Amino acid sequence: MEDSNLEELDFSKEKIHYFSKENIIRSLKFLFIPGRRDPRLSQKEYEIEKTKSKRKFFRRLVKPLTLIGISLIIFIVFLAVYAPWIAIYTLETVTDVSKAIDFGIPFTLPSPLHPWGTTANAYDLFSRIIWGSRTIVIFGFLTIIFATVGGIFVGTISGYYGGKVDAIIMRIVDFSLAFPTLVIVILFTEMISRDLITILLVFGIFAIPSYSRLMRASVLTTKQLLYIEAARTSGARNFKIMFKHIFANSISPIIIRFFGGVGAAILGFSGIAFLGFGDASLPDWGTDLKYGLPYIYSMIHLTLFPGIFILIAVLGFMLFGDGLRDALDPRLKAMSK
Amino acid sequence: MKMVKSKNMLMYISKRILIMLIMVFFVLVATFFLTHLMNVNPSLNKMSSDPRVPHIVYLEELERVGANKPIFEKFFIYMSNFFQGNWGTSYMVADGVPVTTLISQIFPNTIELVIMPIILIPILSVKLGISSAKHRNKWQDSIIRGVIMLGVCIPIFFLASIIQFFASNILNVYTYGVIDLETTSVNSINVYYANRLTGFRLIDAFLFNDQALLQDSLIHLILPSIASIVVSLAGISRQTRASMLDVMRMDYVRTARAKGVAEKDVINKHALRNALIPTSNEIVGLVASLLIGSLFTEMIFNYKGMGWYLYEAIRNGDYTVITGIIIVDSIIILSGTLVADILYTVIDPRIVY
Repeated sequence: MEDSNLEELDFSKEKIHYFSKENIIRSLKFLFIPGRRDPRLSQKEYEIEKTKSKRKFFRRLVKPLTLIGISLIIFIVFLAVYAPWIAIYTLETVTDVSKAIDFGIPFTLPSPLHPWGTTANAYDLFSRIIWGSRTIVIFGFLTIIFATVGGIFVGTISGYYGGKVDAIIMRIVDFSLAFPTLVIVILFTEMISRDLITILLVFGIFAIPSYSRLMRASVLTTKQLLYIEAARTSGARNFKIMFKHIFANSISPIIIRFFGGVGAAILGFSGIAFLGFGDASLPDWGTDLKYGLPYIYSMIHLTLFPGIFILIAVLGFMLFGDGLRDALDPRLKAMSK
Repeated sequence: MKMVKSKNMLMYISKRILIMLIMVFFVLVATFFLTHLMNVNPSLNKMSSDPRVPHIVYLEELERVGANKPIFEKFFIYMSNFFQGNWGTSYMVADGVPVTTLISQIFPNTIELVIMPIILIPILSVKLGISSAKHRNKWQDSIIRGVIMLGVCIPIFFLASIIQFFASNILNVYTYGVIDLETTSVNSINVYYANRLTGFRLIDAFLFNDQALLQDSLIHLILPSIASIVVSLAGISRQTRASMLDVMRMDYVRTARAKGVAEKDVINKHALRNALIPTSNEIVGLVASLLIGSLFTEMIFNYKGMGWYLYEAIRNGDYTVITGIIIVDSIIILSGTLVADILYTVIDPRIVY
């Protein structure tokens, strides 16, 4: 009888499969059903796991406005990825005037052949907008990824070493705040070449200062913590301390500002294209607005659709960035208990 | 104690002004080289309107303008003229007009365009931020934040076009001509008016008791102001909401409520004063973004202020006008930052530099 009791308590006999069906169902139930208590855990383990769990973060993330933001982002990225299947006409007929004339007459109203009509250059507006979503998504993400990576490097170096290096870098950062960014990007594109890559790089370089400031503030606050000294006394080298320990703590404000930055980058790019300095060989919503603006009183659909799509794209990224910020902000965490 | 603080403040202000002058100098150097390395050729733009102009006239024009000199000689001449007060003459945009005269004529136009938003935006957005903080996590909060986000995400040129279309096509038809709404889109803002003391239309209309000028100016300023206000509401209201949420947790708010202070006074008198401290920094960003946004608004409403001239100068390649306008913009932005930092010490007496 005693042997059988011991066998019941011997947990090493159970094989633990981490991705088994029961475990997956158990964790899904835990995430999605509010207030579920797993009967296999004791009360104490349950309390510990509840404070550390992702369910709280998840619950605070899925507010109605954030859900609207996520769905708009998914919509725009879906349009960008599946553009060849959704758009009716191919890319050449939408960007090359000589090929477009075969298919369309300029300035037609919406018809079954062209769902949203045609523009001044006989491009089909529907296909041009679908193809234009690719330009916008590529531009937004690449610019801000470039700016974020550069800002993280500059901010970490400036905040960690301090002293003269810090002062010099901060002076350069303040200097680039004095420029009106839009005008300088236009001057650079006029100087080098009117290419998407040029606008992307110049925009990214002028967006680095705000990210480096953010990173530097986080680095300065976490530098004082005790476990950094502990790591240093146990022999970790400078780079390892910087990029492993400090980085993990400072990442959340940067993720928040990433999405806001993508929205601002899309607006800036549309503004530059609207003024006429964008890339002429790519389908772009800003240039659509520019060519449709003189005809607003007779054909409003030429300006309405590109403008609404720019609004949808920027709105999705901004709402999601705001929702992330509300979910990750520690002060709001303390209050919404 | 008081004398020590004011001496420190004087030293701080003078240090900041010195740094600001150095930065403006760097902006000047950078802008000069950027504009001269652009791919536009303004002499060609001027001559190319008539294709019968012989080639020798084009070469003589280049010689007259001084485009054949090496770039560092041009740089030296420009710098030495700049600090003597001669900012060059405009070549394409306003032919033969000195740049200082041009800027002194168009700068009041932009200030008039921007003054109504600068007054209205802090008031509106602080009110919206307070009500958004009061009804946190309820449906009123979601609606307010959604509408403000919509306003910020719409491109300003699109919003201005839609407002113009709406006011001149749709509202005009349905009010049967009672309000003269066509004036809002028609270009009478650039007409030269008779009684001119300062350059500002509104001030001159008050000084000389000119009713028609006052009505005309106000009607022309409404639509661009609406566009600028809708686009700029989000920054300040978001900051106000965050700092109000911080302040409402504090102990002195609880004490004020326990004392029996009315709820509106708790919010508007006790809590708001401390919540507005970080918000005062946002107003600087407001000035900068209004100046940059005025480029688009003035283009669409055809309102000849600094933004319109900057765009025309970039399109035509007019180096002196571009440099002049960018320098004025940089001075405004940098001095706005300095004024905000000084006001920070006035509002919050705990801060000493």
